[in-house]
Amino acid sequence: MTRQERTAWLFTAPVLAIIAAMLVLPVTLALALSLTDYSIYALADWSNVRFVGLGNFAELLRTALFWRALANTALFAALGVPMAIGASLGAALLLHDTTVRWKPLWRVALFAPYVTSVVATAVVWRFLLNTRFGLINYALGWLSLPPVDWLGDPHASIPAILLFVTWKIFGYNMIVFTAALSSVPQDLMEAARLDGASRWGRFRHVTLPAIGPTLLLASVMSVAGFLQIFAEPYVMTLGGPAQSTVTVLYFMFDEGFKWWNLGQASAVALILFILILAITFVETRIGKRNQWL
Amino acid sequence: MAATSCGSKPASPPLRFWATSYEGDYSPHLMPAFTAATGIEVDVQSVPSTAAHEKMLTAYAGGVLPDVFMLPSGWIGEFATIGALAPVPSPDLVTDIVPAALALAQVEGKNWAVPWAAAPQVQFYRRDLLQDAGYASMPTSWNAWREMGRTIKRRRPDEFVFLTLLNWPDTLFSMLYQTGASMLRDHNTRGNFRSAAAEAAFAFYLSLFTENLAPRALSTEVQDPFAAFAQGRYAVWPSWPTLLLDLHRRRAEIPADRWAVARLAGPNGPGPAAMIASNVAVSAATARPKAAWALVRHLTSATSELRFQQLIGNLPARASAWASPQLQAPVLRPFAEQMREPAMAPKIIEWERIQIEVQLVAERVVRGLLTIPQALATIDDRIDQILAKRRALVEAGRIV
Repeated sequence: MTRQERTAWLFTAPVLAIIAAMLVLPVTLALALSLTDYSIYALADWSNVRFVGLGNFAELLRTALFWRALANTALFAALGVPMAIGASLGAALLLHDTTVRWKPLWRVALFAPYVTSVVATAVVWRFLLNTRFGLINYALGWLSLPPVDWLGDPHASIPAILLFVTWKIFGYNMIVFTAALSSVPQDLMEAARLDGASRWGRFRHVTLPAIGPTLLLASVMSVAGFLQIFAEPYVMTLGGPAQSTVTVLYFMFDEGFKWWNLGQASAVALILFILILAITFVETRIGKRNQWL
Repeated sequence: MAATSCGSKPASPPLRFWATSYEGDYSPHLMPAFTAATGIEVDVQSVPSTAAHEKMLTAYAGGVLPDVFMLPSGWIGEFATIGALAPVPSPDLVTDIVPAALALAQVEGKNWAVPWAAAPQVQFYRRDLLQDAGYASMPTSWNAWREMGRTIKRRRPDEFVFLTLLNWPDTLFSMLYQTGASMLRDHNTRGNFRSAAAEAAFAFYLSLFTENLAPRALSTEVQDPFAAFAQGRYAVWPSWPTLLLDLHRRRAEIPADRWAVARLAGPNGPGPAAMIASNVAVSAATARPKAAWALVRHLTSATSELRFQQLIGNLPARASAWASPQLQAPVLRPFAEQMREPAMAPKIIEWERIQIEVQLVAERVVRGLLTIPQALATIDDRIDQILAKRRALVEAGRIV
């Protein structure tokens, strides 16, 4: 080892040690835990723990609620990611327009929900979504549409929570997209305009390729975020009605921290980890093919 | 700082005490008398009841349980099994206890906690709305009770009658106790819901929803059930003694002459009903067992329990406290009667979870996603799955 290499190791050692202690070790332990039947009985007596191999995974596969949680989470991600990114991009494009005045004010106003507390805003949204007195149903009444039982109908509960989540998080990616849009080369834009490209054509062939990498980053982060959705259903619906908003993470929380089946909960965590890893891998492949990476 | 603390002798840190819901909020009122008599300071923490179970388990796992804490009777077996509780050191702490409360608190005949208060489920009802419908008193049998609901519903079609929400398991469980459903079998290691008794309870429960007498709603949708009751959107609310405190605090919304209390209706008149009893327990890991048990003795004295009854409506667990004139108020009579007929839930670690899962299935029945026979089979399967570990340990002879 040269002196330079030694110095490099010395400098990185603290960080590596922290990563080992805070990330590698707990993840390995969780992995080990997922192969045991660690439950509340183990808290009573360690000798009650048995090695069960892949037993937890087999048990999960025959638990109806786990499949329901997977399906709910998939629905959250499939609807939520386009909704959230669409809202962010739309807002960023609107704000980017040269005719818009008081831009800083709009940016702050639209970013504000992102930094407010989930619980406080959830309480407000529960009032907005109230079937009988809520503002949203009042607005639907104006359009002479029938009222929707947002949080009480198993088919409306996921869209209702997605409305709330989208409103809450779109500000973050909006700021990221605003930064990306300002880097779109103006001369290309003007050249396209001179060549008679339409508004859509300019967006499709000039703006989109320029912000492609940012879009990829936003979608990777959003997919990972939506697959881990927990706090919103926890405070809005407690997983109901009829368990229609129980997500994978919610299921894991119940198993692990409410009922102390840490073996089972670790198995859920591992499955979720593999899922997110696989989807991210596919996304980066798409990004590479489009030369965004 | 150092100079000022030199003269006085270092005070021992305060005892830590956790309690949930109103007991937690109002416990500080009981502490000055204790501190004055013993010189021991107590640090009271009110733990939100919805998160109490996981919070206390996590505290035990992390070795930070408080010296003394309140424990619902359903959790005593669980916390005793994991070794979190110190056994009650002297038998005189649990003499003079209402039999129902003591029976709920004991685990295999052993005392791990001292009963503090007893809360049988009863029904609060709107006297004025019943009178408008031609009822001077509350019907006691299921059929007459439901018929009364229909009469009120006919007069007020836009409102509901029974305030029982789809994630509150106690109404359904009271019905299961009333029909005598046994629920578990084989030394509490398997589900036993496929029975005529359970089916009858489910059918009656379901009919309240199909006839629109009760709302298809979760507690997350009814933000303020008390206000809904006060506004007459519900005429009957199966609930607990602590509602007496709400009725007192918010008497501007609903005057005292508009409501009354009765025992829950049963298939043929009132029977056993769900009962929550709160108890006080001492952590096995406490460094000051003497002070801790002194606090338990103070909290569960007849004087403290009567004070608590006045403050939050809780009913005393000390039998001698019931001789007090304070407890002869007519409004408390249904509670006293119901306490003589408590329902005994199986004392197994998993019971809390089983109740919640049964209610989840019941919700699916109410929403038309399952029929009752399907639901009962689903429940049995699910319980067998939840009890798998217990079954293995019972078969191995490690627990009973």
